[in-house]
Amino acid sequence: MLAAILSLGCIGMIAAVALGFAAKKFAVEVDPRELAAMEVLPGANCGACGFPGCAGYAKALVAGTIDVNQCPPGGADVVAKLARILGVEAAAASPEFAVVLCQGDNRKAQLKYNYLGLEDCTAAQRIADGPKVCPGGCLGLGSCQRACPFDAIEMTAAGLAVINREKCTGCRKCVAVCPRQVIRMAPAEATVHVLCNSHDKGAVVRKYCQVGCIACQLCKKAAPDAYKIENMLATVVYEHHSEAAVAIAKCPTRCIRDFAEGYPDGSALLPADADKPHAA
Amino acid sequence: MTDLLVILVSAIFVNNFVLARFLGICPFLGVSKKVETALGMGMAVTFVMTVATVVTWFVQYFVLIPFGIEYLQTIAFILVIASLVQLVEMVIQKVSPVLYQSLGIFLPLITTNCAVLGLAVLNIQKDYTFLEGVVFSIGAALGFTLALVLFAGLRERLELCAIPQSFRGTAIALVTAGLLSLAFMGFAGLVKG
Amino acid sequence: MKLKTFAGGIHPPDNKQWSSHKAIEDCPLPTEFVVPLAQHIGAPSVACVEIGQYVAKGQVIGTAKGFVSVPVHAPTSGEVVAIEYRPHSWGPSLPAIVIKPDGEDLWSTDLQPSDPDNLSTDDMIEKVRLAGVVGMGGAAFPAHVKMSPPPEKQVRTLIINGVECEPYLTADYRMMLEEPERILQGVGLLQTVFGAERVVIGIEANKPDAIALFEKHCAKTAFEVVSLHVKYPQGAEKQLIAAVTGKQVPSGGLPMDIGAAVHNVSTAAAVTDAIVHGRPLIERICTVTGPAIREPKNLRIRIGTLLSHLVEVCGGLAEEPGKIILGGPMMGFTQLEFNVPATKGTSGLLLLRMQDVDPRPEGPCIRCARCVQVCPIKLLPTTIAAYARRNLSAEAAEYCAMDCIECGSCSYVCPAAIPLVQAIRYGKAAILAKKRKSP
Repeated sequence: MLAAILSLGCIGMIAAVALGFAAKKFAVEVDPRELAAMEVLPGANCGACGFPGCAGYAKALVAGTIDVNQCPPGGADVVAKLARILGVEAAAASPEFAVVLCQGDNRKAQLKYNYLGLEDCTAAQRIADGPKVCPGGCLGLGSCQRACPFDAIEMTAAGLAVINREKCTGCRKCVAVCPRQVIRMAPAEATVHVLCNSHDKGAVVRKYCQVGCIACQLCKKAAPDAYKIENMLATVVYEHHSEAAVAIAKCPTRCIRDFAEGYPDGSALLPADADKPHAA
Repeated sequence: MTDLLVILVSAIFVNNFVLARFLGICPFLGVSKKVETALGMGMAVTFVMTVATVVTWFVQYFVLIPFGIEYLQTIAFILVIASLVQLVEMVIQKVSPVLYQSLGIFLPLITTNCAVLGLAVLNIQKDYTFLEGVVFSIGAALGFTLALVLFAGLRERLELCAIPQSFRGTAIALVTAGLLSLAFMGFAGLVKG
Repeated sequence: MKLKTFAGGIHPPDNKQWSSHKAIEDCPLPTEFVVPLAQHIGAPSVACVEIGQYVAKGQVIGTAKGFVSVPVHAPTSGEVVAIEYRPHSWGPSLPAIVIKPDGEDLWSTDLQPSDPDNLSTDDMIEKVRLAGVVGMGGAAFPAHVKMSPPPEKQVRTLIINGVECEPYLTADYRMMLEEPERILQGVGLLQTVFGAERVVIGIEANKPDAIALFEKHCAKTAFEVVSLHVKYPQGAEKQLIAAVTGKQVPSGGLPMDIGAAVHNVSTAAAVTDAIVHGRPLIERICTVTGPAIREPKNLRIRIGTLLSHLVEVCGGLAEEPGKIILGGPMMGFTQLEFNVPATKGTSGLLLLRMQDVDPRPEGPCIRCARCVQVCPIKLLPTTIAAYARRNLSAEAAEYCAMDCIECGSCSYVCPAAIPLVQAIRYGKAAILAKKRKSP
């Protein structure tokens, strides 16, 4: 009995002393706040903060070179936690969702040519500016869907990308990968959007797309502050998004949609509820 | 001399710790996504295995047996292995933070790696002399590293293939591991026993 | 006797019977010439004429910009009616000079012939540059740049490319049969410029009459005529050098690194025109062929002629084309419309019917390694393509993606119809973009 206790005890002591020395010799300075921050961050390594992965952001946070509200996927929750860890005041950045500003799927928009090649929007765009006649419309080959780390993008059967507002965290990876810049960021509360990205004249747009914006200005007449028409394309002024809904009925091509009422045709997603709190 | 060679070859190929004895499957599946990480893990485990075998050999023959406390073998061995793993962790964190990050949780898990404990115990069970024990541990460690690196190479190639949805990830990894193990069965008969 | 060749390669049906027996015809002048300022590799030319100005045939209408660039000349005499963006065969609309011919087709009086014996090497290179000569095999690389290797890279072997390995195309073949003296005079001039000890004219064995003719013409000279095994892409620079000299151009290197230079037969003829006759490059031979055109022909066309005119001259379309290709079926550019102009590099216009196009959807890679077997550069196309598609450009570069010559052999043999060349091109673009971001 005694032998057992003593021998194990001795081995333990030797190990402890040796490790003690080693700990001093191989010490690595790690700020405990950095570890705490790493634990709180979502860990998706999406890069929306502009740093290589959550570890990079944690390091910069502790170094004091960046704000605590730079992690969109984390949401207000994470901002508060990070603020507590670092002992700073924090104002959450207002949440944003990505929106695909196009409704022109295969049934509604004309194709230039039959594309047989890599299922990638950037690759297709390189071939004579893409298979769609419309220069700004969604190509529907799914590059954004593959880039989204949160599985928030769905491709409809007719070849259109639709972003699920329940899952979108505003990380902007889809915006970066889209070769046509048809995906834009909008504040979470803004549910009304003009779903068109073409700057061509109305008569030209009418030829190649049934639901394109023809810059007829009827929306601006119905809600002057909520819309601006630039370069033959109408866009919602998001600061006045609450006034925009009245123009939906006035639009002759039905290119203005309210996501609270439903997603574009062909999507299986249920209508988004804009009042629901944004999930972290 | 031939005996030592036989022990070495047997430990690396014929009775490979991962593919024939099925020990150490946890890091085998967990750290084999990239060849560099697998190699790093292999080196860490090699260090732990060889030093652990030496130290546990001494512990067995100079502490446990003389004092008649062989029943404490498991605890004593784990104590030694745990300390060694702590040491390795500290060294890696200092020397290569990148490797430290990529190994993640699997580095401290070497403590509970059945291959390391298994090696230490087998060494005693087979009544090896000190030299035989060292050779056995080197062979076991090399075999472990070999299995990991081979598997990592296979998995890197698998990344480029169009795998059916239901097989993606762990499923195809396990199927591949089984096939690799089957391939190593070809070495059976190389060494008697 | 085994014919010289290179490793890898494929044997597509050569389909040259549509036009190989048709002598070169002059293409009647169209009513409008659209001369793009970008027709070559390097910086596009800069317009040096104004709207409303009269230009003579061969007059400079665009000057070269920098060293890797060439001037461009008026294909006929007439009036400059516009300088604007026009559809271009490379995809986007690019600046072009639009000329309305006056019907006189008068040469500019500034062009003077010279005696090459009185010219220095530098004079000859400058004449080639001023004449706007580019590689006529299709790549359109400025010829004077190729003719000016750095002094430490001495070209010892000059190879003249009479291979024309692309299926359907017979432009170079007819040139060799009908104008051998013009070509050979150019070869002699090129040899003088390079100071090459050895001159080899490489011709594929499916052109026995051209080989015989050239052997006859070269009998009293030191030029060697080599008959090459019929295989695609024998006409690619690196493969031609490998077959003729047995040496490989190193990865990432150029032919001059191993003392070799390759020029197309038509380029040699253009060099003759430039140096001896003082005439700029304004015309070339273009094979209009394929099952969808009524009368396949080998036409002598002027640069700036719209494809619609070429189709008209060849009797119009036999049926609705499934594919319109500028160049050959392996490495040519698919076009959407006929309103683009022919340029210095337009060696062919291929019109295929709907049934000639194979719209098979892509399948998974079955690791058959046919692409590996046929790759003339000995790459692993399936691996490079897999990495490129997953945006792993570092790994793609490791597997030597930048050495791919985009010949199309891999895409041709793939049983799963995987767009290998498109994927590799995508990968190459990503690698170059990364290099530009962080050199």
